[in-house]
Amino acid sequence: MTIQATARLERATRVRAEDFLCAFDAGGAFPDARPGQFVHVRTPADLTLRRPFSVAAVTGRGRFELLVRKRGEGTAALLSLPEGAEVSVLGPSGNGFGLPEPGERAVLVAGGIGVAGLRHLSRTLARDGRRQVVLVGAPTATALLDGVLPGPTTDGAVRVEVATDDGSRGLRGTVCDLVGRALEETDAPARVYCCGPQAMLRSAAGIALAAGARCEALVEEVMACGIGACRGCVVRTRTGYRAACADGPVFDAAELVFDGEERA
Amino acid sequence: MRTPIMLASGTVGYGGELSGLCDFSSVGAIVTKTVTEAPRDGNRPPRLAETPGGLLNAIGLENVGIERFLDEKLPAAAALGAPVVVSVAGDSPAAFARLARRVGERPETAAVEINISCPNVERARRPVWDDPDATAAVVAAARAATGKPLLVKLSPNTADALSVAEAAQRAGADALVVANTLPGMRIDIETGRPALGNATGGLSGRALMPVNLALVWRIAAGVSIPLAGSGGVATAEDALEYLMAGASAVQVGTALFLDPDAATTIAEGLRRRMAHDGVRSVAEYKGMAGRMST
Repeated sequence: MTIQATARLERATRVRAEDFLCAFDAGGAFPDARPGQFVHVRTPADLTLRRPFSVAAVTGRGRFELLVRKRGEGTAALLSLPEGAEVSVLGPSGNGFGLPEPGERAVLVAGGIGVAGLRHLSRTLARDGRRQVVLVGAPTATALLDGVLPGPTTDGAVRVEVATDDGSRGLRGTVCDLVGRALEETDAPARVYCCGPQAMLRSAAGIALAAGARCEALVEEVMACGIGACRGCVVRTRTGYRAACADGPVFDAAELVFDGEERA
Repeated sequence: MRTPIMLASGTVGYGGELSGLCDFSSVGAIVTKTVTEAPRDGNRPPRLAETPGGLLNAIGLENVGIERFLDEKLPAAAALGAPVVVSVAGDSPAAFARLARRVGERPETAAVEINISCPNVERARRPVWDDPDATAAVVAAARAATGKPLLVKLSPNTADALSVAEAAQRAGADALVVANTLPGMRIDIETGRPALGNATGGLSGRALMPVNLALVWRIAAGVSIPLAGSGGVATAEDALEYLMAGASAVQVGTALFLDPDAATTIAEGLRRRMAHDGVRSVAEYKGMAGRMST
């Protein structure tokens, strides 16, 4: 259930350059978000719209984290708030990811700030003792958002692979170059979870689907209402337009029609 | 109405989307998303672009069509507890009449809003909203088709809004909504392309308020039926400006994106203001600006 609540900023921790993990406490009445859901935040800037952020973690009843990148007026105003400041939040909203079924391998694919959308999922899988392969891509090593997704574990439950465009860490290439290899390792069925720029989603989804894996993609769109009322944030799917806020933001990648593709 | 605050068409879906997020006892009426005879997909995305003080949208009247609306959406809207005004749009006077008849027959429908002013739908000829005769034809057809109160939503994008308003009144409108969005555009300078998939969209929000406030003031001087001011209403003070310009009610739209319960905030603000002013009815504010200027 989506509700409107006041959330207190507990702390903002710098992850890298202008990326911060912001911890909020919205009180015990605020429902816990599922992985892939988002929160619509009213920033303290004098803007017309709220700003949607993937829930990066749930840390207690009504307590959650958002990864905020300083991009424009809204995020700058949000990041200028002192600890203890209050903001209006609307959420948790959207459908969220489906968790892997027993025997299904979880392959997480994050491009750039897409790590934000997968952090809650990764933590949930780890909590439940599920194995996961985490694939992370960025232009350079310095652009990688270390610490947002969990690191590898010695027991192999979490395996992490990195790709950078310039080869400054991990494979020289894109995160999509890692997807095919990860899927070819075994014949076990896999479920691929993607979050990142649209070109990355398109490519990663294409590889995953071609390999016969199920694939879920978390899309990012400009939103107005955040609750499915205005129909402003629609994405194209094989069965018509669907609202990213209410029908998504997670979609079965096989249903999505990306830019440049024709509708079936 | 319990309060003079209506929730504007296009911003509340069919009403049910706001369930649990809005105190409907503060709402004078919900105006549903505009319904057409056939379902519509709407325009290609992107459909939204924020602007300083406003929002451009190019939804393109996406809706489920009259049949699904009557089956599913109207009963759900009526269950919320606020009067339901059904917004309709057709491509001919006869289509408006058919829609007005269908929704008017239903007990859940408190009133019908005639949407002649959506800027996001292609029209080959002179748009209805800019043509007093065409407006009169649509309103007269709808008038003949239903006994329910008939609201007509005008456009600010016309050289002579008063003539259109007068034509709507003569044709049988019970009230006018002043007004819809203004056409606008943004360009993504990185790609050189329009920011909206439809290239242009309708401007709403605070940036629109002075434009539509002036229209209310001008139209109020020329017609005798009630007006609902619409465009940029976010606070009790905004609502008061519309009332003082000559409106009897306001419609809140874009402000709901920041606060889905904005009607409650505005209603409480109005009550405080009335207590402060020693006013017993919002009607006492009506047209104050006009009275003072004559």
